[in-house]
Amino acid sequence: MADANRMFGDGDVKLRSLTDTAGIFRRDERNRLEDEMERIGIVFPQVFVAVYTGRVGEIANLRQFGFWLLNRGLFEDIPVEKPNAAGVMIVIDPDSKAAGMTFGYLLDPFIEEQDTFDCLSRAHSYWLEGRYAEGLLKCLVHLHKLLRKRSRRARRDPECFERKVASPVAVGDLVRRIHEGNRPAAWQSLEDMEMEVEP
Amino acid sequence: MTDTARVDQGRLLHFEKIPRVEEVEELQTSIEDQTAVELTEAPDEESDIADQYLAAYFQAKPTGFLIDAQTLLTTREQRDLEAFLNDHAEESSIDIYFYVFGADQRIPSDIRKKEVADQHYSVGKPAAVIYYYIGAPQRSALYLSPMITDRVSAAEQRRTLQFSVMQASSRTLYFDQIEAFLEQMSIRVYWMQRMTQGTAEKTLETIPDGESARTFPRRNTAPEIMPGIPSWMKRVGGIIVVSLCGLLLLWCVLAWLGSRRRFSFPEFEVESRLGGGHAAGIGAVISFSSQAITPEMQRNRMPDYMRRA
Repeated sequence: MADANRMFGDGDVKLRSLTDTAGIFRRDERNRLEDEMERIGIVFPQVFVAVYTGRVGEIANLRQFGFWLLNRGLFEDIPVEKPNAAGVMIVIDPDSKAAGMTFGYLLDPFIEEQDTFDCLSRAHSYWLEGRYAEGLLKCLVHLHKLLRKRSRRARRDPECFERKVASPVAVGDLVRRIHEGNRPAAWQSLEDMEMEVEP
Repeated sequence: MTDTARVDQGRLLHFEKIPRVEEVEELQTSIEDQTAVELTEAPDEESDIADQYLAAYFQAKPTGFLIDAQTLLTTREQRDLEAFLNDHAEESSIDIYFYVFGADQRIPSDIRKKEVADQHYSVGKPAAVIYYYIGAPQRSALYLSPMITDRVSAAEQRRTLQFSVMQASSRTLYFDQIEAFLEQMSIRVYWMQRMTQGTAEKTLETIPDGESARTFPRRNTAPEIMPGIPSWMKRVGGIIVVSLCGLLLLWCVLAWLGSRRRFSFPEFEVESRLGGGHAAGIGAVISFSSQAITPEMQRNRMPDYMRRA
């Protein structure tokens, strides 16, 4: 984060959820995109989507920029009850012809890097032809479906996702558990008997 | 006295020009001519009505006003005619009994139509009995209860039938002919009723107002859907169509409910990484600089150090 701050600045940045600095969207395209982004925000009340287009520089910087912007951004049109940790940030750099997708900690257990790649892949053929809005719409539609699936799965089996973000077991605990698991059977049965005679 | 003068005096509420006797005779001549032409086009032979139907036609006084023992009319047509004849019977003191035969059919000679009419309709409510041949209205015959014939002249009776036939002949479709025939007949019978009651003149040259407004109830003129397909098939098709519509409606409702559904995620405590307060920057980056290379090949792999431990 310190590197990113040095590169892009260490102050907060005020912007709208759809910031087209590169000027690649027409007015009607902007409206369609905003509608879709708003729809995601309604269907998933905890989540919001932000899009930034502009010149970032090298591709290597794009991931850092998305990371930095999602941490530093103050999104004017996003309700305050939705923190940046609930955001999905899409950055498009039409000059270097690259795009990236970043998400906050809220979605960390539910989305993998591969999922974000799948979303961006939906837009790839459109972006190759310079049809940025259409590509982005495809990307958002796929994200919508993905979030819906993951939400259903998380409701059915939340432990599965919780395990992903659980803190690694401390070394001492691990040793203790191994020892417990390797205790002689006689000790175990003795303990059980003692428990049975207790009033 | 002219028709206009009668209207002025209030003796007539409506003025409708009806051809004079001479004109009627001319028209009658034309009808007869037309009949001759039609006869050349008609089947060469008239056949007697099958014996199996004779009893239904002539054995007893019918319970309904429409007698179609051979089911020459469709159910819908029968329903419309019965409705009209019932309406007429409610409003008039003279019932109309309408016997329907085929255009090329003939009532066997051993059945005396006049005697049958006298036998069944001489007592009770007076009746006008019509033998009507579908598609050949000029062959129609009219018989009246003795109570009516006593007070209405033979010329007037003949004229009643002539005008009804004229109205029917002006139409092309057979059921339109029946409608026109019965509308005119109903009006004339009403006027006969007034003659028998002594409240009308002995001849009818104009049609009273109100009577001209009495029309045949409009039937559904929409053409029968897919006439060549059996009714059971139509019914099955209808059920399928209704089922599909129901499924479509159900799908729409489910889609609507789905669109209103909200999804949430459980919030877990996630350890911050890379010093990011809100996000750790884990996500894909792709390049779209070359059409020849797949997106996977243009993917900018995430460094290992950024992966979750």
